[in-house]
Amino acid sequence: MAPTSTKKTCFLTVGATASFLPLVSAALTTDFLAALSKHGYSDLIIQYGSVADGKEHFEQSMTETESQRKKSIVNVRGFALDPAGLGAYMREAKGISASKASREKLEEGVVISHAGSGTILDALRLNVPLIVVPNPTLLDNHQLELAEALAEQGYVVHGRLDALVDALEAAEKMRQRSREWPPINSGVHRVVNVGGLAGVMDEEMGFLD
Amino acid sequence: MAVMRLALVTLVTIAIGLLTFGGYRLSRMHIIHPGRRKHVRRKRGDKQKPTHLLIVLGSGGHTAEMIAMLFRAITDPDPTKRLDWTNYTHRTWVVSSGDNISAQRAKTFEEKTVRFAEEVITGKTQNDKTRRGTYDICTVPRAREIHQPIHTAPISSLRCMKACYEVLTKRTVEEKDGETGTTTTKVDLPDLILCNGPATATILIFTTILLRLFDFGGADSRGKMRTVYVESWARVKKLSLSGTLLSRVVDRFLVQWPQLEKVNERLEYRGVLV
Repeated sequence: MAPTSTKKTCFLTVGATASFLPLVSAALTTDFLAALSKHGYSDLIIQYGSVADGKEHFEQSMTETESQRKKSIVNVRGFALDPAGLGAYMREAKGISASKASREKLEEGVVISHAGSGTILDALRLNVPLIVVPNPTLLDNHQLELAEALAEQGYVVHGRLDALVDALEAAEKMRQRSREWPPINSGVHRVVNVGGLAGVMDEEMGFLD
Repeated sequence: MAVMRLALVTLVTIAIGLLTFGGYRLSRMHIIHPGRRKHVRRKRGDKQKPTHLLIVLGSGGHTAEMIAMLFRAITDPDPTKRLDWTNYTHRTWVVSSGDNISAQRAKTFEEKTVRFAEEVITGKTQNDKTRRGTYDICTVPRAREIHQPIHTAPISSLRCMKACYEVLTKRTVEEKDGETGTTTTKVDLPDLILCNGPATATILIFTTILLRLFDFGGADSRGKMRTVYVESWARVKKLSLSGTLLSRVVDRFLVQWPQLEKVNERLEYRGVLV
């Protein structure tokens, strides 16, 4: 099959601090790659982290899915960490061209992320569809709470390791009704005319006008 | 977590000890009276007077959120809700030793972000150097290094506290000036302290309590060192450890999820801030 002219990227990130190899495995499965093809994705970029066996694990999963990937139009690549940050990859998933000269047609894809608040916030600001997969092995479950609360409000899709295909379906549907970040906070009656952080700082400083 | 808890418990014990000792300062007990309600300072501040803002960058996600909320505040489309950076003539940024990323982010915010935001919003470039005020970045040793043995945590916490004391009470700021070398500017005690955790911020806040209790340099009688703590946006149902320890100590405590307001009456939800 000839490569399509439109580029659509799925960017998966496991973050820098904790190891989350099961998420890498969940993406590098025959089912998930087939689901990406079905939804017209051309690229899957995986940030697998700098943990000791991250690279090895990624390469092994790549070998296992080699025959499947040859048949598929999805081009898979991976890297451990990027000191320049993940902004460029997020923008690629959003469908923003890196260089103005490029005549490539870009389509908005999706970001799949661990539940780190910084990564979630970056994706929300970019307004790219986001699937958040909390790491079940982390003891501190406030990441799970954050993912649940945001999914409830329709900002993200709460994904599970064993149901990543379903999460992708949900994210494709979410694209049509994605909510913009930051929220306007208009629902907070006290915020009207008082402001958030600046308001509190002014009150404390006695800047009352 | 256990280590941090131990370190903080030690500090609180010391604080309580000093409180007893400082009984003659009973008139200032309201500073730490746990039952006190949040209150808005009523004294009218003068925007023309020099003002000193102190911001603690707690590293990692804490730094990211602090920078994010300051950025959001200075770029708010509604001018009545926008944070005017020029209201604060001096800014002190506190970072943990070795945390070069936070120091760099503070520098970028001061030298690029604020100017960029100003240009985009007002459409003109602010070239008046005096209006921009001054800033400096202070480093304090970590309350606990990674892998530090548990029994030395109280000692390193005290070392951190001493450094916080020095930052909070500094009266001069040295500024490197491209051509003329170093210029020294006088600063007053911080008027307002903004932090969002973790351990270093907690120790700094407890240090302000001691300084206010003893009315160091008029810290309390002149209404200095007002503290604002912002709980992480990642905390949805429960406060963080720093948040729990500080919830009845700081002057203002902001949470970013409405359901957290129920934890105690001093917590305020003013919308999402990041």
